[in-house]
Amino acid sequence: MILTDLELLSFKIALTLCAASTVGYLFSLLVKQVKLAKFSTWILAAAFGFLTVKFLFVIINSSWFINPDSRDFFSLCAWSVCAVYLVLQFKTKTRVLGAFISPFILLFMIAAAGEEAGRALRPQNLQNWLTAVHLLWTIIGEAFFAIASCAGIMFIIQNRLLKNKKLGGMIRLLPSLNDLDRINHLCLLWGFPLVSVGIIAGVVFAQISWKTGWLIDPKIIWTFAGWIIYGFLLHQRLAIGWKGYRMAVFSGAAFIILLLSYGSVRLCFSTLHNFI
Amino acid sequence: MIVLIGLNHKTASIAVREKIFAGCQEGNDLLARLRSINGVREVLYLSTCNRVEIIAGSDEHGKAIKELRDFLAQSGGLTAAEAADCFYEYYDEDAVRHIFRVASSLDSMVMGETQILGQVKEAYRQALEQYATGVVLNRLMHCSFRAAKRVRTETAIAVNPVSVSYAAVELAKKIFGSLDGKKILLIGAGEMAELTGTQLIEKGAQSIIVANRSLAQAELLAEKFHGEAVSLDALEAKLIEADIVISSTGAPDHIVTADMLRRIHHQRKNRLLFLIDIAVPRDIEPSASSQENVYLYNIDDLQDIADENMNARKKEAIKAEMIVDEEVARFVNWQKELESVPTIVSLRNKAEEIVKAEMDKAEGWMGNLKKEDQEKIDNLVNSIVNKVLHAPVSVLKEESSDISSRDIVAAVRRLFRLDG
Repeated sequence: MILTDLELLSFKIALTLCAASTVGYLFSLLVKQVKLAKFSTWILAAAFGFLTVKFLFVIINSSWFINPDSRDFFSLCAWSVCAVYLVLQFKTKTRVLGAFISPFILLFMIAAAGEEAGRALRPQNLQNWLTAVHLLWTIIGEAFFAIASCAGIMFIIQNRLLKNKKLGGMIRLLPSLNDLDRINHLCLLWGFPLVSVGIIAGVVFAQISWKTGWLIDPKIIWTFAGWIIYGFLLHQRLAIGWKGYRMAVFSGAAFIILLLSYGSVRLCFSTLHNFI
Repeated sequence: MIVLIGLNHKTASIAVREKIFAGCQEGNDLLARLRSINGVREVLYLSTCNRVEIIAGSDEHGKAIKELRDFLAQSGGLTAAEAADCFYEYYDEDAVRHIFRVASSLDSMVMGETQILGQVKEAYRQALEQYATGVVLNRLMHCSFRAAKRVRTETAIAVNPVSVSYAAVELAKKIFGSLDGKKILLIGAGEMAELTGTQLIEKGAQSIIVANRSLAQAELLAEKFHGEAVSLDALEAKLIEADIVISSTGAPDHIVTADMLRRIHHQRKNRLLFLIDIAVPRDIEPSASSQENVYLYNIDDLQDIADENMNARKKEAIKAEMIVDEEVARFVNWQKELESVPTIVSLRNKAEEIVKAEMDKAEGWMGNLKKEDQEKIDNLVNSIVNKVLHAPVSVLKEESSDISSRDIVAAVRRLFRLDG
């Protein structure tokens, strides 16, 4: 019982810190102060720490890997995006990227708070290690895609400012085009294999458990389409040499397609993935 | 009387400046044509990326300024509407202050930049070569160099001495993050290109390629950076390698065209390309900026960055303005001395000083003479001095009503070393 309380407390602190860092990041854009963005990064790192603690409690408390609840699922989404962003901070020092990513993290956290704790995410028949790998790797991989797209959107903004010669405060705050392109590149490079492994785990499980019929599931079709799009982008980058603006536009568009498909499938179709 | 007419980046767009620049460059007799204008006695023509100015010594300033304005407007083929707003005019002390401020880089797009003094000196050199300047402008230009030197050494205004390249480096950082390993292509081997190259290398750029119409000049500059020199024929091939291109040639047409960039787009593998066009007329076709991953900035675009620098240097500029004021006051005093009366007084004083000094020296042996003889010698010496001075003083008095007396006054002051 105490563990459950501590887990809830960690989650609430993480949620509060997340909200604070999002406000800090957005405010840093408003007042055009990188220092504030740096401070917000530390708050976000603290939020990440508390979220990690929450997961530790969950693991200790139950067999989480096999049976996470819906709150854990959204928390995991937030945690993954947070982790990817913070790792990138070590590599590129692009604090202001947080202003674009932290709202996503906060949205995941709010969604997690809205979910009823303890409601099993997956039906009993889906609770095994293959679906756990499928879920975890896909989420982390998608987090990379999300950040690739955020970097892409920032690239588009920075590109616009530079092209239109608007050299005021905003341009100083945003990272350089090269850094943003590099983040986009790294995220695609890391995200794609993760999502691929996640998908393979799902396919193996589906083939073993369901044998037929699963291929025409709308969510699987959309996810596969998204995977193909990102694969195509990675190919274009590595083999054809796409860089900069075009990559930014396509990765931004790909993520929007992915989000729309997720929303429309969830609302309009019956799917084997109706638990998320 | 000194008059100055001109236009700069604050009063005229790059298009208007290009027209005037091109118009004035036609033919090699610009200074001769300017000197032939009614009312213009001596003249200097200053043209930089940001300004075109004519400074003239004139007998009739109203007439001279009108003629000079018409000359510029006609040379540039400006419409009446264009010509109405783009020129500024200064007279006498204001004109002196303006040229001192220009030479000291207080009126530059990037305050404190160092190129302008070199350009002013070059303009003066050309005027000297063609005997276009006279007593007043010669003195004016020397005083302006002194003012500029004092501003640079007594204030911190030129701490970041390379203005355009500083702005370029700031922008390059916004595009590339770090300049480490970046390849720079300089088109044009002039002073501006050299300064820019130095700044970029200091910030970590990997190598420099210098492309120039004259390969020998390109080689000279490339040697300084341990870079590579090519002629303009190899430009397209070198654009494939470059990350940052800085163009500052005096070519009348575009050297880097949009088509050229389109052709090499795939070979460049879509890499980001930063083009800085600091030439007037522009070297890089403006439509190149519409291409993907290409960022083109011309000299006017650097204005915004220049504004920020200007704020940072405002404090130093206050000190610099005080120095300029001092130098203006000095010059104006000298000008007043060019009137004949003060010169006659100075000349007499000088003669009296010499007499007194020599008489003091002779005191030893003259002391043995009778008082009567001593007075005779005094009278003799004074009479000789008066006779020697009579002719120059008469000429100074006779010519004092004429503007050309200034030349005579200046000559007398120089011959007798009246200015120390």
